[in-house]
Amino acid sequence: MTDNLEPDLTATTESTDESFQTRANTIVRAADHGMPLQLSNITIRYGGDKGGAEPVTVVEDFNLTLHAGEMHCVAGRSGSGKTSILTVGAGLTLPTSGRVLWEGDSLEKMGDDEIADRRRALIGYVDQGGALIDGMSALENVLLPAVPDGEVEQRTEMAKDLLDLVGLGRRMRHRPAQLSGGERQRVAIARALILGTRVLVVDEPTASLDRTSANRIISILKDTTSDGIAVLVASHDHELVRLSDTLTELN
Amino acid sequence: MNAVQRFIRSRVLLLTAAILIVAMCLSVFIQSQSQAALNRTVDENSRGLYDILVQAKSADTKDGGALLQPDIANGQGGISFPQLEKIRGLSGTSVAAPISLVSRVTQNLETPRLDAMDYLGYNAGLAGGATAGDPTGTDSKNWPAPESVLPAQPKKYRLTATAVSSDGVSQQTLFQTSAEGTLGKGQVIEQQTAGGKSIRIAGPGGETGIKFPAPAGGSEHNLFNLSVALPMAPQVTESVVAVDPTAERALLGSAGDFLAPLQKAPPADTRNAGAIGRYFEQLFAKSPTQQELEQGPDFMGVKLKYWAPLMTQYQQAKLSGQITDASQAIPLIVRQGTSLDLKYSVKIQEIDDSGKVVNDVGTVSRSLDKDYLPFVSKSPFALEWPGSTDHSQLLGNTGNFSQGLYQPAQWSTDFAAAPKYKDGETSANGAVGKSATPGDWVTVNKLPEKSAFGAMVDQSQRKPVDERSYRENLATGSKPATPLPMVYGTFDPAQVQKAAGDVNKLPLGGYDPAPMTLQKDASGNDTAAKGLKPSLSATGLVSQSAGAITDYYGLAAARGYDSNANVIDAIRVRASAPGNWKQAQPEVDKLAAQIRDMGLEATVVAGSAREDANIFVPGYSKDDAGKESALGTVQQSWVRQDAADAVSGSLTGTNITLLFLTLCGATLLTGASTVSYIRQRRSEAGILRAMGWTQRKIRSWVLEEFGIGAGIVAVAGIALSLLSWNLATVIVSASVLFIYCAAAYIAAQQLRHRDVVDQEPQHDERLIAVDSPLTFAYRQLVTHRFSSVALAVAVGVFGAAVGALIALLIDIPRAAGASALSGLASATIALPSVILAVSGVLVGLVLTLVTGRFELQARREQLGTLRAMGWNPDMLGQVRFFENALVGAVALILGVLGALGLGLLLAPYAALWAALAGVLAVICWIPIATKVVK
Repeated sequence: MTDNLEPDLTATTESTDESFQTRANTIVRAADHGMPLQLSNITIRYGGDKGGAEPVTVVEDFNLTLHAGEMHCVAGRSGSGKTSILTVGAGLTLPTSGRVLWEGDSLEKMGDDEIADRRRALIGYVDQGGALIDGMSALENVLLPAVPDGEVEQRTEMAKDLLDLVGLGRRMRHRPAQLSGGERQRVAIARALILGTRVLVVDEPTASLDRTSANRIISILKDTTSDGIAVLVASHDHELVRLSDTLTELN
Repeated sequence: MNAVQRFIRSRVLLLTAAILIVAMCLSVFIQSQSQAALNRTVDENSRGLYDILVQAKSADTKDGGALLQPDIANGQGGISFPQLEKIRGLSGTSVAAPISLVSRVTQNLETPRLDAMDYLGYNAGLAGGATAGDPTGTDSKNWPAPESVLPAQPKKYRLTATAVSSDGVSQQTLFQTSAEGTLGKGQVIEQQTAGGKSIRIAGPGGETGIKFPAPAGGSEHNLFNLSVALPMAPQVTESVVAVDPTAERALLGSAGDFLAPLQKAPPADTRNAGAIGRYFEQLFAKSPTQQELEQGPDFMGVKLKYWAPLMTQYQQAKLSGQITDASQAIPLIVRQGTSLDLKYSVKIQEIDDSGKVVNDVGTVSRSLDKDYLPFVSKSPFALEWPGSTDHSQLLGNTGNFSQGLYQPAQWSTDFAAAPKYKDGETSANGAVGKSATPGDWVTVNKLPEKSAFGAMVDQSQRKPVDERSYRENLATGSKPATPLPMVYGTFDPAQVQKAAGDVNKLPLGGYDPAPMTLQKDASGNDTAAKGLKPSLSATGLVSQSAGAITDYYGLAAARGYDSNANVIDAIRVRASAPGNWKQAQPEVDKLAAQIRDMGLEATVVAGSAREDANIFVPGYSKDDAGKESALGTVQQSWVRQDAADAVSGSLTGTNITLLFLTLCGATLLTGASTVSYIRQRRSEAGILRAMGWTQRKIRSWVLEEFGIGAGIVAVAGIALSLLSWNLATVIVSASVLFIYCAAAYIAAQQLRHRDVVDQEPQHDERLIAVDSPLTFAYRQLVTHRFSSVALAVAVGVFGAAVGALIALLIDIPRAAGASALSGLASATIALPSVILAVSGVLVGLVLTLVTGRFELQARREQLGTLRAMGWNPDMLGQVRFFENALVGAVALILGVLGALGLGLLLAPYAALWAALAGVLAVICWIPIATKVVK
């Protein structure tokens, strides 16, 4: 499984560490595992535990199997549970009931540390708006996932390539406050890909972006699928919905 | 939505105004209340039984604020009776009470004896005659059968008499003497005499009796006992103090009623000792009744209960030719009991002819205790053989009659001058160490020179003890003559002390010397604090009881004066000005100035208080080789002049400091809440600007909201100022209002529109690369400098406030110095001070919470993002910990410096503890803050 995490080594760069040589537009090899993410009978319910308030069921008996290289879009109106499904899929929250399987392994059996380790290896999560860290340049933001494994230095060239890939090669030293919304979103996508993720979970990537910026984001996401990366995206962007391989529309 | 509604909606402004008003009310209220309580306590306790201490001029006179010796009666005199009368004649004088040390008087304890029950039963030819035909006597058939604790056949005994004295720290055996002989049950012997048969009581055949060395007599059988005369007890020295009974009663109130008999004492011209003795002789020539003897014969209107000492002494002095025409009688009120520790014991052993002990009969002992009266032994110093029963009661009630039959005191005119003290180092609590310079070595614990009948006493039976003495001879009058003591009554020094009160009621010149407590041994090591009791060891010189009080005629008589002389040691003057110390101070000062104009030293003791002084006592004891060794450091209550002003000033300073600190905390809190307000309103301001609002209108919009708060604060301040009518309140209210207005101005300035230009790359390459939780935390703190510093300041303030609280708690009793008054005054304002300090801590805590809360949400979002990137919980914890640790490192410096500064300001002796508390408070904050964010 470790082999699957390694980037393609065919590109030539100035990096001294050959194991992390990259080439543009080829980020990782396609995952060997055919179904990196499965959601089985997921029910998500909020509230109802205190003060006698009625619990709200936002998702009930939801099932999803995400295949490698597939882009699946979860669409629906606001409050329909799109983000909830994404956070459950990324292992950031636990469902009220149902099972989340990463490469066939259920999260129920994992502790917090193991989930964190597996998430780092498997899933790249892109929050709505990017959620970049203040005070750190775009490049440093992209490298943040490499900190736990102590691979910041080794991944630096790769991070630069990724920023080039998302069209921010000249903005890598800017800080979040100096970037536009679309640029922040692209930095966040680059950050999600830095560790050779196999599942990209993206929440409303085109919301509040102009059409040109949105199309650029969509293009990037679509390109990643060609490298075998599965993309789970929540959006009500028609273009994104149109280009998705599969679609779940929530009521 | 108008300004009021917006103000209410803006919880931050509402909270800030509320906290400021509460802090203002609390501070002002507590400050004013505690100040009032402090003034009340100081005033009430700073005017004692007298206001001015008058002494003769001396080179040692010190300026105000000095530490005064408590013992003012030293026998040195210096003030004349005309000067006393002149002081009494001053318009501002209410009471002028003179006091002097008359003399040290050595007296012998009554010759002790050991009684062994040896009752022979009813015998018509002996004691039976005493009751036959006497209706008050005991019927002969009710008399008990003969009995004795002694064997019918004489046995050989060894008696070992021992006297031990202790000062509470060490014991000293004064002497130990043994005597041996045979003793047995007594018998009635009928013998032929010239006039016929007679009977006598005698020991059994072969009895040798036991005799200790002279002056002790031997053993003898009498009607009810075998009585063995024991070695004499050592001499006990008592001091005599002279006062004016009338003035003293005016000073002491009802506690001085015991002096009433002295007011009835005969005037000087009727005190001829010979005339008084003859008067009593003629009284007894008329065979007084038993009732008269018990109550005491009437002498010049006073029932002289203790008549026997006078009679005995007169007769002995007359026999020895000591009474001259110049001899005068001295009226005395003697103290009840003594704290002198003298234990007399006799060990009784049965031995065989070779001297080997065959039976330990037992040890009997007796101590001087509350029954002891100087000059008057209340009961014979008799010890009873183990198993004895006293049948002497069968003769009737003789107790009151016999109590005066004693060995009278040998009057001496030796004087005791106070030791000379020299200032040493000033200790941490402000007390000045004193070194005592003693006088010559003298030999004490010796037997009287002559026995009661004039025979020379064998001094070899005990080993004399060398003692350091402070005695100095004073060249006095021209006609010394043996005085004749007349005991009028008794007094309980504890009652006098109780009536005098604790703090400042009788700071100088009490009848008892101020007690001493051993603090450090001769090597300078701390010892368990132990009060030194007067004893016949060397310690007895450290603390010597006042045995008796006489009047001024008695003083003149003791010193042999025919006319008035400068014999008054000190005069305690109470001013006629009424009220507490502050009210009376001008009149007291004026009176003191008038007294000084008379050429005397007038020390204003009103406003003074007791204060412990540390005194190193060198040369306390001497070993056989003559090597001297020190006692160590003793602590004694002296008197600090002007303590009231010092206490009031110091504690007022403490109070105002606390008030200031609370306001500082409120200022910081206002700053923090203003920052919060600015953050909240910045986006709103942007929206309003987008809607077309001008900068001026937005500023007015902000200032209106602040204006509501400022108005409330101002109204509260004016109301508080009017209610308390206190300048401090006005200053506090104005300060708070100013702080609030300053905050409003800053807020309005901060909400001005600033164009943000998207510049070219600004990332500073010099920054440390983010490659670990530590560097991530550091980067975040650097990025959010303002918030980080604000939080560090808040935590530092919290630490400093905790330090200040600890300093106060530790040092409140010493906040204003070391005097008893400061302790009392500090206790009065302890609670308000602690409340103020706790308020400071709470302000620091709220400040920390408010400041920390600004960043909490942002931090949580950041941590959520990191978690989404796969950072595990442990790393997230590290991030938070490092962030708090770095903030804590800055806060630690601020907190320690703040706590140290506050500690030095409030309680210098607790400053280090304050700093330590500040460190701990900040260190404790780090894990707590880390936990909160998790």
